[in-house]
Amino acid sequence: MNKLKVLLIEDDMIEVMKLNRATSSLQLNHTIIEANNGEDALKLLEQKDKLPDIILLDLNMPKINGIEFLKILKSDSRLKYIPTIILTTSNNQRDLLECFNIGIAGYVLKPLKYEEYVSKIEKLLAYWSINELITT
Amino acid sequence: MSQDQIDILKRALEREKQARKAAEKILEEKSRELYQTSQKLELLLDEKSSQLQGVFENIVDAYVVMDLNGDVLKFNEAAARLFGYDIEQEPVNVIKLIYKEDYEYAMVSYMELQSKGFFKDYEARVYTKSGEVKWVHINASIVYNRDKTPIAAQGIVRDITEQKIAAESLLRSESRLASLIVNLDSAVLLEDENRKIVLTNKKFCDVFNIPVDPDQLKGQDCSGAAEQSKTLFEDEDNFVNRINEVLEKRQTVLGDELVMKNGKILERDFVPIIKDGIYRGHLWTYRDITLQKNYSESLEKQKQKYSSIIANMNLGLVEVNNDDEILMVNQSFLEISGYTEEELIGKKGGKLFSIDDGKTISEENLKRQKGESNSYELKVKNKHGDVRYWLISGAPNYNLNGEVIGSIGIHLDITDLKSLEYQKEKLLQKLEKSNDELQEYAHIVSHDLKSPLRSIDALVSWLREDNKEKLDAASLQNLDLIQTTLEKMEQLISDVLNYSSVSADNSENAEVDIESLVADLLKILYIPEHINVTIHNVLPKVMGDQIKLQQVFQNLISNAVKFNDKDNGLIEIDVADEGKYYRFSIKDNGIGIEPQFHDKVFKIFHSLKKSKDSSGIGLSIVKKIVNLHQGKIWLESELGSGTIFYFTLKK
Repeated sequence: MNKLKVLLIEDDMIEVMKLNRATSSLQLNHTIIEANNGEDALKLLEQKDKLPDIILLDLNMPKINGIEFLKILKSDSRLKYIPTIILTTSNNQRDLLECFNIGIAGYVLKPLKYEEYVSKIEKLLAYWSINELITT
Repeated sequence: MSQDQIDILKRALEREKQARKAAEKILEEKSRELYQTSQKLELLLDEKSSQLQGVFENIVDAYVVMDLNGDVLKFNEAAARLFGYDIEQEPVNVIKLIYKEDYEYAMVSYMELQSKGFFKDYEARVYTKSGEVKWVHINASIVYNRDKTPIAAQGIVRDITEQKIAAESLLRSESRLASLIVNLDSAVLLEDENRKIVLTNKKFCDVFNIPVDPDQLKGQDCSGAAEQSKTLFEDEDNFVNRINEVLEKRQTVLGDELVMKNGKILERDFVPIIKDGIYRGHLWTYRDITLQKNYSESLEKQKQKYSSIIANMNLGLVEVNNDDEILMVNQSFLEISGYTEEELIGKKGGKLFSIDDGKTISEENLKRQKGESNSYELKVKNKHGDVRYWLISGAPNYNLNGEVIGSIGIHLDITDLKSLEYQKEKLLQKLEKSNDELQEYAHIVSHDLKSPLRSIDALVSWLREDNKEKLDAASLQNLDLIQTTLEKMEQLISDVLNYSSVSADNSENAEVDIESLVADLLKILYIPEHINVTIHNVLPKVMGDQIKLQQVFQNLISNAVKFNDKDNGLIEIDVADEGKYYRFSIKDNGIGIEPQFHDKVFKIFHSLKKSKDSSGIGLSIVKKIVNLHQGKIWLESELGSGTIFYFTLKK
């Protein structure tokens, strides 16, 4: 299993805690990088030598929202290769359609129950850790 | 005998002697005169004979003498010319000259000649030497010798071939004329000066209901005819009076109009026939002009009708010529345009009204030239300078030869309509936008409401995990309750979002197979062992939104399962054809619904049974979807023994 470098773009502090706690309780060796909003994330992504393997992206964020961020990402010649998985509570069909239209690697709904969340995250990370990814 | 007597006798004898002498002398003179006369007569006879000879030789008509056997003794020059024979050279017998079809007639005439000594006006055909057939007229007589014995026959032969041909062609043209009159479409009546019928035809008999052949009317007196026929006409007295008047004047009258009781209209001509200044009769001609009359009358009516439509219609009408110069406008157009008629006639419509320099109008007029008709909208300014919108329906105007001489346009001021349309469009856009916003809003609200729930749940989970040993049973149960409440809250938010999402805007309209929809649904729904679901009929296909209809069945079946308290639960799904609709029913033997709630259950947030998995929105969504499919939903229920939900869907 590959050790993944995961960029979580999420404004909700507890959500960040959830992911961290989930990965640690699952005893996964992945690195979680956090960005509280799209702007911060873009700054982080400027360092091309320290790019994440995958991005977990929340849609509802202040300033640049998830979809706007996704558009910027996909129009960048390098960043567009980073698999981006939407992690959101919104099952709005319009959002779903637009995201896939722009180009995403997955769309995962945050369940209500924390146990379910842990299980989803486990599967998600397991899946991406067995994938071949573009690293240069 | 006395001397006296003897004297008397002597004297008498003497007188007698003298008288006889005188008589002898007279006789002698007379005899001499007679001789002289006879001499003279003989001379005269000779003279006459030679004269006659000359006449016969020289008369224009042919002169033929034959013996009693028919051998020709003599042909004069004309005869020789007519028949073509020279009898000095070859003997000719008249038998040879007779046309074979006329032979019998010739023989009869010859017998007549022999018995009576002559015949007259024999007309028959003869052959000439060259074989030509000629018509001849012959007068002939027998020639006797001094002993009254017939010795020969002589005849004057006239060539009448040309006359015959002329007569025949006259006959033919007469018969042609007669048949023309008989078959004429006009009724014809020719009367002589005594009002006796000379000629009439079939049409005349038809028009006047005379049930006999027109030939039988010849010679009939017409003086009482008008009286007899007057009942056929609308104005009986006038019919009779007019005829009398016309007859009295004896002047040509053309085109008298007569209306008959049967609705026909006749036109009558009267032509007097004057020959050599003498009145010889007159000709009546009747023509049936009902059709033309009605046609022109209806034409006139139509014209009036359309004129009044044009004058009174609320649409502006303009006629222009090929140069776009206005020829005619109606009152409405004056009102629409704000101009007076004087200001418009002769002006170019394109220049007067248009905002685009008459570009549109020129383009449209080109179409008229090609014979095209159409409607178009035009932005114009009226006399007051106001911008108005006109809807113009234009069509080419043709002359009688089918050439385009301009166009006619009907104008409707649609400015008000236009602004209404504009307003409506704006409103629709606004509505769409606010609908959109609302939808977005619902999603955002639901997201924003759901997110904290997730956080709380995570936090509660961690609290429990991190303090497993420290918390007592009651606290742990409370933590469970928090999480149950969170689930309920989550469901409520989802349902509210669902309910607000059900609208016509995002509905599909396709054929949905309810049979397979329900079958699929029964596979994924949780149906406990003790509940049995049966479908009584083959469920139909309807037009609608697959996902929404699925929601309906899912909700109703779930409810039937959820609210079943019996050991042997029974759910029956059925359908009935109700003409334009299908009526579906879902029947259960569950807890039933109290009558006062039968309507309330369909209202939002009216869950009757507060439970963990009931937000009270399900049935209101069902109702909303059914209504969206132009159907109705209702229920029948008995508390404790079950409920039947009915709903209809349009076919």
